[in-house]
Amino acid sequence: MALKRRATILAALSAAATILILLWKPSVINNGLQQAGLYAAIAIPMGLVLGIVHIVNLAHGEFMMVAAYATYFACRATGMDPLLAVLPAAAVTAAFGWVVFQLTIKRALKAPELNQLILTFGIAIALTQAVNILFTSQTFKLQLDYVSASIDIGEDTFPVWSYVFVAFAILYAVGLKLFLTRTTIGKAALAVGQNPKGAAIVGIDVNRVYGLVFALALALVGAMGALFLTKQSIFPSVGSPYTMKSFCLVAVAGIGNIPGILGASLLLGISEQVLRGFRDTRAWADIVFFVLIIAVILGRSIKWRKS
Amino acid sequence: MILDIQKLETGYGKLKVLLGVDLHVGKESVGLFGPNGAGKTTLINTIMGMQRPWSGTVKFDGQDIGGKSTHLVARSGIALVPQERELFPGMSVADNLELGAAWVPRAAGIEKRQLDMVVQLFPILKERLKQYVGTMSGGQQRMVAIGRALMANPLLLILDEPSLGLQPSIVAEVFERLALLKKEVAILVTEQNVRESLKAIDRGYVLENGAVALEDSAAGLAKNPHVVSAYLGI
Repeated sequence: MALKRRATILAALSAAATILILLWKPSVINNGLQQAGLYAAIAIPMGLVLGIVHIVNLAHGEFMMVAAYATYFACRATGMDPLLAVLPAAAVTAAFGWVVFQLTIKRALKAPELNQLILTFGIAIALTQAVNILFTSQTFKLQLDYVSASIDIGEDTFPVWSYVFVAFAILYAVGLKLFLTRTTIGKAALAVGQNPKGAAIVGIDVNRVYGLVFALALALVGAMGALFLTKQSIFPSVGSPYTMKSFCLVAVAGIGNIPGILGASLLLGISEQVLRGFRDTRAWADIVFFVLIIAVILGRSIKWRKS
Repeated sequence: MILDIQKLETGYGKLKVLLGVDLHVGKESVGLFGPNGAGKTTLINTIMGMQRPWSGTVKFDGQDIGGKSTHLVARSGIALVPQERELFPGMSVADNLELGAAWVPRAAGIEKRQLDMVVQLFPILKERLKQYVGTMSGGQQRMVAIGRALMANPLLLILDEPSLGLQPSIVAEVFERLALLKKEVAILVTEQNVRESLKAIDRGYVLENGAVALEDSAAGLAKNPHVVSAYLGI
């Protein structure tokens, strides 16, 4: 009951805040929503590996960066639109992730989590530097007409292309929910995450499930790499803030709570845009996620100590 | 012969725990007794592929399974109810039971029949199919663990200390149910509670210091002076 009442209060407060911001600066909500979609679509695959099978992957954003680079050069060589490359990018990134998993992460699964942390952090640096050596730190961008699509309402113009990220975020969240609750392999993934020993006892090939889930997450993040390229410029370290923000969003949503990542992303995307709305606070927008994660972890710790 | 173990040796590091164990299970219910540290759980872990045999053979259903991965052993028809239950606490009873059958070829296509059998054996599970396993009592979780193992339609059911941490009335109930099962499936059960388990088994082994010290029928064990003084506490 108390929980329900608190949820209602929270929903009412956020609705009130949204209406206030809408009246004050509608573009904040428009941009915030689209930004939230981008964050969520990148964070949800991390929610899968971190929250469901408990693999810490600090190279998450870097894998997206690699997918974006691969897509960029494929598109430049063939003249293909990156939107057509979404599925191939997913497949190639998944295969790449599978190989990296088999060669490295698999061997660290039974070691303390700190080992995974250091290992994947090393992979992140290796990927960034490899791209840096191959293509220098120069930025690349595709010029696409459709990304400047916008809608005019009254005197304001609202860019709308990035709603494609929102669509992908929702697709990912719903798809993964169905995958985990309705399919045998999805349930096996949950089982492996909750109790690897118990999973082996019922005949589940635990290492294979880890590899499959990791590859699936990388497929999702690879698709985002191609999509990311439509709008943004890419450079070797473009992925790293997304690793940190994804980590933060997964933690704020609560480990294992994939739909919660949508809500956490909304909070982060809109708070960032509100700060960007003022000249004086613009520079602070990039650290909102630090504040958010500290507040949530503090809040949870206090609640945990009380109970 | 369903399970045939010969001269099995294994251990941890330099410490040898099993010093040549010979044990077999036919279409019957077999007890495995012995004090803590005798090697009962090590023996079960070796059968299940969680521990590598150093030497000797483990044959199951005519196949050598010594050193095979746990999931392959499970798929070949051995279902384990581990001491610590090893359930999936964040999933429902129904999902836990479903996962018991999902990966085992022997259970393919007969999941419904197995589920009917399990809820008939443990009617309380039928009312709680949607409950999260993590919110259930120890006794109920033990029933889920046994139910999950039975879902696999196993040729051999291994139970490691099924009465551990349970109140006596539930222990009696669990053994009553096991006695019903022995017509359907071969059973290997380790137990501290020798008195109760003697009612449910046909034959038993006493394992001491990593070797079989005694092997006899349930009736024979109940009369054996060593068993009476060491395990029945009379």
